[in-house]
Amino acid sequence: MWSMKPILGAGIVVFLTGAVALSASSANHTESAAAVTENSAVAVYKKAINPILEDHCYECHGDGYNKGKVAFDELESNAEILDKDLWLRVLVNTRAGLMPAEQKPRLSAADQQKLERWIKSDVFHLDPRNPDPGRVTVRRLNRVEYRNTVRDLLGVDFNSEVEFPPDDTGFGFDNIGDALSISPMLVEKYVAAATVIVGEAVPTVDRKVVEQEVPADAFATADGEKQSWRVRFPYNTSKSVAAAVKTPGAGTYKVTLALDVRGDFVFVPDRGRLVFKIDGKEVLNKEFAYFYEKSFTFESDHKWSAADHSLSLEFTSLDDGKAGSGEKAKGPKSSRLTINSLTIEGPLEQDKWIKPANYDRFFPRTIPAGRAERLAYARELLGAFASKAYRRPLGADKSDDTADRLARLAEDTYRQKGKTFEQGVAQAMAAVLASPHFLFRLEQPAPHALEAHSAPVDEYSLASRLSYFLWSTMPDDELLALAARGELRANLSAQVQRMLGDERAKSLSQNFTGQWLEARDLEGISSNAREILIRDAGEEENLRLLRQAFRAQDESTAKKLAAHIDSVVPAKISLDGDMRKAMREETELYFRHIVKEDRPVTELIDSNYAFLNEALAKHYGIPGVTGDDLRLVTLPPGSPRGGVLTQGSSLVVTSNPDRTSPVKRGLFVLANFLGTPPPPPPANVPALEASEIAHEGHEPTLRESLTKHRENPACSSCHNRMDPIGLAFENFNALGMWRDTERKQNILAPGQLITGEKFGSVSELKKILATAHREDFYRTLSTKLLTYATGRGPEYYDVETIDQIVNRLDQNDGRFSAMLMGVIESAPFQKMRTQATVTAAN
Amino acid sequence: MIPTKWNNPPVNNRNLAAERHESLSRRGFFRGMGACIALPALESMYPSIALAAKATKIAPTRMAFLYVPNGTIPGAWWPTGDAGTNFELSPTLAPLAKVRNQVQIISGLADDSAEAGPDGAGDHARAGGTFLTGVRVKKTAGSDIHAGISIDQVVANQIGHLTRFSSLELTCDAVRKAGDCDSGYACAYVYNLAWRSAMQPLSPEHNPRFVFERLFGVGAPAERVANLKRRQQEQHSILDYVMQDAHKLDASLDGRDRQKLDQYLTSVREIEQRIENSERLVVKNPSVDAPAGVPASYQEHIALMFDMLLLAFQTDSTRVATLLIAREGSNRSFDEIGIAEGHHNLTHHQNKPEMMEKVRQIDHWYVQRLAAFLEKMEATKEFDGQSLLHHSMILYGSGNADGNHHTHSNLPVVVAGSGGGKLKTGRYVKAESTPITNFYLTMADAMGAQGIEKHGDSTGRFA
Repeated sequence: MWSMKPILGAGIVVFLTGAVALSASSANHTESAAAVTENSAVAVYKKAINPILEDHCYECHGDGYNKGKVAFDELESNAEILDKDLWLRVLVNTRAGLMPAEQKPRLSAADQQKLERWIKSDVFHLDPRNPDPGRVTVRRLNRVEYRNTVRDLLGVDFNSEVEFPPDDTGFGFDNIGDALSISPMLVEKYVAAATVIVGEAVPTVDRKVVEQEVPADAFATADGEKQSWRVRFPYNTSKSVAAAVKTPGAGTYKVTLALDVRGDFVFVPDRGRLVFKIDGKEVLNKEFAYFYEKSFTFESDHKWSAADHSLSLEFTSLDDGKAGSGEKAKGPKSSRLTINSLTIEGPLEQDKWIKPANYDRFFPRTIPAGRAERLAYARELLGAFASKAYRRPLGADKSDDTADRLARLAEDTYRQKGKTFEQGVAQAMAAVLASPHFLFRLEQPAPHALEAHSAPVDEYSLASRLSYFLWSTMPDDELLALAARGELRANLSAQVQRMLGDERAKSLSQNFTGQWLEARDLEGISSNAREILIRDAGEEENLRLLRQAFRAQDESTAKKLAAHIDSVVPAKISLDGDMRKAMREETELYFRHIVKEDRPVTELIDSNYAFLNEALAKHYGIPGVTGDDLRLVTLPPGSPRGGVLTQGSSLVVTSNPDRTSPVKRGLFVLANFLGTPPPPPPANVPALEASEIAHEGHEPTLRESLTKHRENPACSSCHNRMDPIGLAFENFNALGMWRDTERKQNILAPGQLITGEKFGSVSELKKILATAHREDFYRTLSTKLLTYATGRGPEYYDVETIDQIVNRLDQNDGRFSAMLMGVIESAPFQKMRTQATVTAAN
Repeated sequence: MIPTKWNNPPVNNRNLAAERHESLSRRGFFRGMGACIALPALESMYPSIALAAKATKIAPTRMAFLYVPNGTIPGAWWPTGDAGTNFELSPTLAPLAKVRNQVQIISGLADDSAEAGPDGAGDHARAGGTFLTGVRVKKTAGSDIHAGISIDQVVANQIGHLTRFSSLELTCDAVRKAGDCDSGYACAYVYNLAWRSAMQPLSPEHNPRFVFERLFGVGAPAERVANLKRRQQEQHSILDYVMQDAHKLDASLDGRDRQKLDQYLTSVREIEQRIENSERLVVKNPSVDAPAGVPASYQEHIALMFDMLLLAFQTDSTRVATLLIAREGSNRSFDEIGIAEGHHNLTHHQNKPEMMEKVRQIDHWYVQRLAAFLEKMEATKEFDGQSLLHHSMILYGSGNADGNHHTHSNLPVVVAGSGGGKLKTGRYVKAESTPITNFYLTMADAMGAQGIEKHGDSTGRFA
């Protein structure tokens, strides 16, 4: 009867569907109790619910009609009448105003309420005071969380986005426990990464030579021009730079200069001479020619008595303009010499060595001499490290031998010949990073939890839930300290406040909007600016002729056509890396603003501000913004830009490589803002291009093509929902720029939603979405945020939780904090099913 | 001798930001790479395990599955002429001319599990998820992914212990789409060809550098094997430790939590196994530099991945591989050949000639990539004098037949190589409608797998 999970045993069904049966001990007893519950639910259906359906729904779903394969008068058995999937659809569709369909009379508020109450209590068996928290499959750290956790644990920035394969997603997010799988390759990478990360973070000796790198910006020319990032010498220019350095004082030093030569091949290579001097004395004097990306390293030893020294790099171009002038003149003169590093090590005398950086962080005390004492010290260090890495204390009792095993692992290593104590501890730390306790987020119920079927998670689990939700990383010391004292729950809202103010809260904006609004796709999406602009300008035919002329080597025609296209299509517009990044960051900053300033969430749809830099403002046609930094800009009156829907990111990710896609845009709004995505298209549906039959003598606009497409009744029922919304955005091209025409035809924005509201422009549409459809948006956004926060997809039993969050938003002017605290205080976030239930549900 | 050439590919734009912060493990390596290097004579490339085979003078059989998305234009794909050896390559397959006698083109193969049936829309996700599994994949957005074991893993389970890697999973589709992948199907179905079990997809590697380092170790050619050995030694105690952790945890977990832990456990076990085998299975280190990273050009990326596949086979590092050239439903545009529209959009061409022509050009472009790989495979000689291609079975195809109609019968499939003489080549086979899984069973037989009576929806051996 619980159609979504067919493997359930009878006793368990009751367990999950009726709290009444909880105390029942025998299977027989529960079965009969279930039958009683079912019978009364069905009786209510027949008496109170069916009459409402007869009045409003039978026209399509009864009396012989079964649109969408639903016919209410054909439901016979109890199981059919109480089918959760069916009623979840009824609930969603009636609430969103999609049913009863257009032009049919709506349910009265009282009837709607009656229907909702019956669905929630008799079909779903929801108990508003004690909602089912649901079941989250143990979550593996995804690669973003892994990177952040390693950063916070060890201070190492490990680029997991390059090193690890992308994580599989579920419900649109990459932090869903069920979807995060493990493969041998991934574990291999985890083990290798652990060694590399620990190798970078943990010193393996207690004393080492002082090593300083002379940075590029320590060098300046005689005119005082500072060098930045790397000192570079193009072969065609003579240049000298000098720097002053300070060393620890008298002793023996080693100076290492590393450089490389890069450039394109030319037949007669460029040449140059580099002279490197220390305190005026030549250390290196060498001529360089063209080499294919060749690297050089030069070392020299010095006995110095003073602490201050001067360094100079003098480069002379040997480009005399004579040799091979013919070929040379043609080729690119791009060869250059780049100083990669200049390092000074010393004093090399052992008595002048120092503790490595970070040493005290990992080894706060002197390493004891005795074997037992050493082992005890290793045990102490590793126990503390493992506890932090596992985000909870190790077990107090004997059954948890983690610290012992780690200490033994360390000892096995450091007792090997030639290995240091530090190396042994580092090896055990690497094991910690490869352990399932680190890689998975293992949760526990609070001790002495009273409820039978669910229990609050313990405070350590709660600390991790909070930190991975808001920060995408491990809990910090403050959260863990509160958890240790059992005071986190009592200070929840203050802690959430604190966490949102922290830099790490950027992760929420990046990872939530990156996926909810698909802003992450920006960087990889195919987009051909020239094709888009040529199509917008209605110059496709001329482009075709141009290509034809090229092929026919008809130079004069080609030139003429190219000049014509260049004159109507703006040059230098493209979605380059900087533009894509600016668009993504605009969306992130916008969301972050709403979070930080606790703005109404409807401002995500409609507002009078944006976050822009000069390039993006120019792209949008908004004057008066200069500089590369994105900042809050109040939009000119009447600007269509406020809100995420008219930001470049949303407009581009919903476009095809060569044109806009009103269908994708409509679907984007329905799925991500209104929560009513239409069913997927039937098989064998033609693409829109197929409807591109010349329209009244011109190439059809997308509006015209879609009108044609909707003539097919199989298409119209869904496209009537998507198209009006998508077409309202047609004034924005596939690059996110404003346009007035498409293929030389004026763009018409007016339209009407399937739910009846009429609008004249995209701005009016946004207002309608933010007011008349505010509840739909609240519900959709809350569901997305709950999914992201809990790491599992929404289930029917979450209806109550979501409704409570929506109410809270309603009562607080839609402030972001109302939604956020609603999610955080909800049963799915605070609680877990207990073992008994977990076993049953599987 | 085969020249393996990769011209220090520029870093892909998409990963520019990421790669700019060069990762720790590799800092300092891979500067100044590139140029054109020839591999050493093949015979010396053989691990000792192959010596037994060598005694019998027969090189081992390899198998790879290469996937291209969105089907093809059937009219331009199928050869003209009768079945048999006397056929004419079609325009799309024309690039295969040089290896015509080493390939067979088979019509009539079907992937019925990808048909809509009761599941409705989502033909792309199904085509991808069923291609090597042959089972109807569960329609879910993520909570209960369920496909089946894929044929490469069935074979790897039997012969994987003979090589250092039981199988290799590769992809040229590096960037994942956020959100839904196809009509309510989880993205796992389209991004993973290989499935170790119904619930465990094997994520493929997209970075050729990492493939290379995984196979042969990190560092300059002369240091690589030593580096690999040292790393394995270092890892041994870590693996022992985490294995204990996992065992303890496993006992305390239930249901799906336990499944996740089991995936971890079996993965650790496999790595340990590889270390244990390292005495027996010696690394044959090709004296070429590792590739620099993911090239900016898709064409270069595919070429490099094919090189990695060839190296893996040539050095007998593995005998089973999958390569997802692009995910099913891919909407990549092909600026390389002047096609600005997305591939997927174009395939819904509704018989408009310009659109069909563009799809055909894309199909042709992919076959060109295949042809270059097969020619290299053919030029690579084994110790028994036969080519590496001769000893391989390279199945290239799509789980969609006609992208316009989302059909899954008469799939476009080319099989190259004869599996050491076990398959006939240089022919065009017109089969009655047959599950493609039947052909997989035939391939599994050729690989020496025993006792596999059925795979997915198979109904018998391919005749």
